[in-house]
Amino acid sequence: MRIERWLYTLPLRLRSLFQRGKVEQELRDELRDHLERQIAANESAGMSPADARTVALRDFGGIERRKDEVRETRGVNLVEQLMRDMAYAARGLRRAPGFTLAVVGTLALGVGANAAMFGIVDRLLFRPPAFLREPGHVHRLYEAFTADRTGATRVNLSYARYRDLAQRSPGSLTVAAFSVMHIAVGDGDAARELPVMAASASYFDLYDAAPALGRYFTSAEDSVPAGAPVAVLGYGYWQSQYGGRRDVIGQRVRVNQTLCTIIGVAPDHFAGVEAGEAPVLYWPLTTRAADARPGAFAANYGWRWPEVLVMRHAGISEATATTELTAALRVSWLTQASANPRNSLAIGAAKPHALLGPVHLQAGPLAGPETRVVTWVTGVAAIVLLIACANVANLLLVRAVSRRREIAMRLALGASRGRLIRQLLTESLLLAALGGIAGVVLAQWGGGAIRALFIRGDFNSPTVADGRTLVVASVATLVAAVLTGLAPAMQALKPDLAHSLRTGARQAGAERSRLRPALLLFQTTLSVVLLIGAGLFVRSLLNVRGMPLGYDIDPLMVITDNTRGVKTSGAELASLEARLAQVATTTPGVVAATPAASVPFWGFDDSPVFVPGIDSLSELGTFGRQAGNADYFRTLGTRIVRGRGFDAHDDAHAPRVAVVSQGMARALWPGQDALGKCIRLDADTMPCTSVVGVAQDVRVRSLKNQREYLYYVPIAQYGDATGMLFVRSSGDASSSVETVRRALQGVMPGNSYVTARPFSAIVDPVMASWRLGATMFVTFGMLALTLAAVGLYSVIAYGVAQRRQEFGVRIALGAGIADVLQLVVGEGVKLGLAGVTLGIVIAIAGGRWIAPLLFDEAPRDMLVFSAVAAALMVAAFCASLFPALRATRVDPVQSLRAD
Amino acid sequence: MSRPTDVVQGTLDLLILKMLALRPMNGWDISQRLKQHSNDVLRVSDGSLYPALHKLEQEGWIEAEWRLSDNNRRAKFYTLTRPGRRQLDQERESWTRLSNAISMVVRLKEA
Repeated sequence: MRIERWLYTLPLRLRSLFQRGKVEQELRDELRDHLERQIAANESAGMSPADARTVALRDFGGIERRKDEVRETRGVNLVEQLMRDMAYAARGLRRAPGFTLAVVGTLALGVGANAAMFGIVDRLLFRPPAFLREPGHVHRLYEAFTADRTGATRVNLSYARYRDLAQRSPGSLTVAAFSVMHIAVGDGDAARELPVMAASASYFDLYDAAPALGRYFTSAEDSVPAGAPVAVLGYGYWQSQYGGRRDVIGQRVRVNQTLCTIIGVAPDHFAGVEAGEAPVLYWPLTTRAADARPGAFAANYGWRWPEVLVMRHAGISEATATTELTAALRVSWLTQASANPRNSLAIGAAKPHALLGPVHLQAGPLAGPETRVVTWVTGVAAIVLLIACANVANLLLVRAVSRRREIAMRLALGASRGRLIRQLLTESLLLAALGGIAGVVLAQWGGGAIRALFIRGDFNSPTVADGRTLVVASVATLVAAVLTGLAPAMQALKPDLAHSLRTGARQAGAERSRLRPALLLFQTTLSVVLLIGAGLFVRSLLNVRGMPLGYDIDPLMVITDNTRGVKTSGAELASLEARLAQVATTTPGVVAATPAASVPFWGFDDSPVFVPGIDSLSELGTFGRQAGNADYFRTLGTRIVRGRGFDAHDDAHAPRVAVVSQGMARALWPGQDALGKCIRLDADTMPCTSVVGVAQDVRVRSLKNQREYLYYVPIAQYGDATGMLFVRSSGDASSSVETVRRALQGVMPGNSYVTARPFSAIVDPVMASWRLGATMFVTFGMLALTLAAVGLYSVIAYGVAQRRQEFGVRIALGAGIADVLQLVVGEGVKLGLAGVTLGIVIAIAGGRWIAPLLFDEAPRDMLVFSAVAAALMVAAFCASLFPALRATRVDPVQSLRAD
Repeated sequence: MSRPTDVVQGTLDLLILKMLALRPMNGWDISQRLKQHSNDVLRVSDGSLYPALHKLEQEGWIEAEWRLSDNNRRAKFYTLTRPGRRQLDQERESWTRLSNAISMVVRLKEA
């Protein structure tokens, strides 16, 4: 359209939009003027005034129709109609608040569940980390190789490996390494173990994030043999600990043993590549390495800690980058082999190669079971939305049917079908929009709680603050609108006008659509499937929880002591730890305490054990060593099943003694008494350590491995400091952690410090995936069941209202209460049965997909199946009982007279 | 009984534009003039005239203005705009082409 024409048309458009009243008035005037002239002309042609009018009107062809045609010519008609439809729909919804509330609530649950789950999945798997320069070009580097004829993949590489790769890869790749660990920040009593990121200087090149203050460290400051003592603060930590003061630059902060100078502050929301808590501080990789292991860490290929990221520059494909990095990796393996020939895998058999994966660890080859659970739960959220949609579609259908007479009337008055359908769709769009808004609010409110389950310590972003989640919520809403609006719209297309007008709402009872039972069956089936999933996960969780670990969890806390820099001998340290145990015991609320060489799920040392008469011990299983004092077994709650535990006499000068686990005793000396047997520790030339007791089995590395054995030696005979203590409190450990920490900190010399954490904080993550699955499946399963029950109830209740007359006739003809009850309840029960059957069939078919996520639980657990079936049948029964009771109270006289 | 010939589809726009090219008119005038000038052959249904007028107005080819008419009543007068004049030329040209073509076909001698 030429610009000149806009001069004429634009004012018109605006007028018809904003001065509709005036435009309409003018149209009326114009048409009336014409008609009056025509009537006058007809009269002067000799017609009677009445005829003149009739003929004029007839020739004109319906004033309202012409007006509508004129309106159609206005370009803004669509917008205008939409606005009018909206207003109309809103008025209609206001008149039916119960219906509106039910629909909006249902949709809100569906949309909210999806928005919340997407927020989590997005954080874990998809959303590029904040500030990342080129998200599509940054990869996580994995080292893949073959060992013992099985493939292995590593994400933590050694510093030496990283350095080789960085030096040998082409300039078109930026290789960076980082590692986040909880490290003590601060001095003495103020020291806290906080997430600290050690990063290569190149790490910051991956981001487009100017420091909020100062600068990042340079490659000169991140170099062997020891990096510079510099640190960059995290924004949040700068705000909370330093009040955001600008003079922090140049101040000193102690990180572990190293006193670092603050040189900069990272920008707000900078958190690296992982979802989770943001580091409070960044320091050079080499500074951290030198702090933890001064000396030749740069040549140590065995100490694997940093993770490596690779950024491809323009022009280098992922395949080429992989080839280049694999070449560099092979050279690095050769270097390693020549430096350390005894302890290296042969490169020929190992076939090491580089693997470029997504930046998100959870999206890569080493994703934990939580990721799979998250994916499942996201699918479940989508199913919940489907159920919600089916429910709403049903409610809308019911509503549409009761409006048949209204619709038929409007069709008869000349409304076009397209227009009517548009109106019905507008209504469901409005409902969906309201539901979507409520859903987002719900996700915002409940999503944080769900997310805390999945992503530890992720406090820094609200659920729906970002556009992506909002987009997903809107898409979910739109899908809901279309899905729910389609059915009633289709039905509106059908009505036989005259028929509907004559029979009114009542008619619907006789030719009830097949759509509604189908929708009901659909939701019932899906809820059965979800409930079965919930049941399986709950049973798994119970199995995990109920599994005898061989020690208590809730009353225990784990203390670690860190001497950082205070030079002490092993013996001094050991006596310090003995003293710590003593002090802990005298702290109020503490029952017992013991030093410990290892903590379950933190790793156990596999010092070699030799048993006279047995050659290949390693084929029997893995043997872990634990050390503790006389109170060890009392502290942990591990039962001694034979012989004795340790006592004060088992000191360094006493004969060497050990307690072995039941499984170990059985494995080593099947059918014999373990007491008095001899085991040799560390080397087969060592003197005998005699077994004085047998303790119950414990799980220390994995929950599933049955061939995991443990033996215990007295701490005095262990001969080294352990760095860890167990403390048993009288109540739940988490409430007394801080008291104990403070009491113990008082004993620590100089800059050294202790940390205390509840033992459950260590064990819980091991069970996380099952707990997650159980929580989420139960939540969503119950949601689905509620939705299905409400849907069943509303449809049956509606059916009863429609068939009042029929029930009246039946009762008049002598049907008893039981007959009517049976009639109505039978319908609900039938639907329930069909849903249960279908759901179980689906669950059986899909069982093998979920089996790997379960713990000691068959995916076809009859108990779960029957429990779910019972729950659903009860729900179906209740949902149809109330309408049925109403049906029995129908007054035959009244119902026959009505309508 | 023969019904008045309906205006050939799509030519109503052309007719209206042409009428308005003569002088500004209101809807009534246009309908009367059309009957007059075509010897009552072209009888535009009064009802369909107004949607057409409004369409042309929305297209920016004519503009409307309220004035007093000959019988001293307020009436809506339409005037051709400059884009409207161009549109008229275009439509007239294509009409001429079309009617010539049809005439030529119609005049073919039958064997």
